[in-house]
Amino acid sequence: MNQLIYNAAVWLDNTEWSTRIHESYYLYNWIESTHVLTLMLSLGILFLIDMRMLGWAFADISANKLATRLNTPMLLGFVVMFVTGILLVYAVPVRSAQSVWFRIKIGLLIICAINALLFHRKMTASIGSWDFEPRAPKALRVGALISLITWSVIVICGRFIAYDWFDCNYPQSDLIRGIAGCIDGQTQF
Amino acid sequence: MIFSLILNYRKTLCSGLFFVVLVSFLFSESITSSHLAVLPIFEWMETTWFGVAGKTWGALFAVVQAGHLIGLGVLGGSVIASDGRLLGLFKGLPMRLVVDRCHSIFTWSLGLLVATGIFMACGVAIKIYYMPVYWYKMLALTLGVLFVFFIRKPIVDRDLDQVSPWLLRLLALSSIMIWFTVAATGRWIGFS
Repeated sequence: MNQLIYNAAVWLDNTEWSTRIHESYYLYNWIESTHVLTLMLSLGILFLIDMRMLGWAFADISANKLATRLNTPMLLGFVVMFVTGILLVYAVPVRSAQSVWFRIKIGLLIICAINALLFHRKMTASIGSWDFEPRAPKALRVGALISLITWSVIVICGRFIAYDWFDCNYPQSDLIRGIAGCIDGQTQF
Repeated sequence: MIFSLILNYRKTLCSGLFFVVLVSFLFSESITSSHLAVLPIFEWMETTWFGVAGKTWGALFAVVQAGHLIGLGVLGGSVIASDGRLLGLFKGLPMRLVVDRCHSIFTWSLGLLVATGIFMACGVAIKIYYMPVYWYKMLALTLGVLFVFFIRKPIVDRDLDQVSPWLLRLLALSSIMIWFTVAATGRWIGFS
């Protein structure tokens, strides 16, 4: 599996546009800045909705109305994050694919997506009964808390990607080499 | 009429005047000596516990930086929700409640940003002292804080039905632009 991922990353790395983005003076910076600044739109609004569910904020506003009105800009923000994220990986594919922090981040993103889906289903099914309650039912509060914690860890992992502590081109323990998917004798990093 | 205008908008006018004086000072000849005068403060910052910790443990610096990003996200979210409502978006949500609740969240997230920002600044104090973009961010941040607490809040604290919708939209757009500028200059620091 790691060999497959490495081969795919090397193939991407050798494409023209990957090199162009990576070596451009402005483009990579613009993409990364957009990715970071769009946090305000995606994560910021998601945190507002989660805080409502937990009863920490907006307790006197209809939970359903708040979630449905803020949903569109939040999803727009996530689309932008997703596109810019893909471009960032495409610009530096080998290092990204073999980054411990990136792999953890992707795992947590999958967990967040499943959590969001379950949350949305539960909320749609139950909304009539508690809409103006200060706190959502327990199951939804758990979902909101999971969302807050995992997204915070995702941001931390995203920040850590820039650091080279566990990069494959440095000597690493077998555990780190396993998690990062380092390939013996690899020539590209 | 002019007198009543001054009386009703004294906080706004004072804030505007302060900002004009500040910008005039920044572009005056005395800025060089003032810039040199604060160098000892930045040298001292690097010797504090925050500065030493930030330099010694890269992971700690990175975690605090991530906290800064989370604060940025929450502040941005509260600005978008509140100013979006003032712009007429998110219809159906009570404007008064959204603006008031978002202001509380804004204040807490600003506190988080300032706290994490001070920690990070101590770790790289001399480096940011010599960065023009850091001073642009501080200018934008000063403008943002003045704007929110002395211009925007006094106006939105009134009965929103009595305030001109165009004034509310102007406030909202200005707020979004100012905080985007603060965030963008902050990002620019990372590239310098």
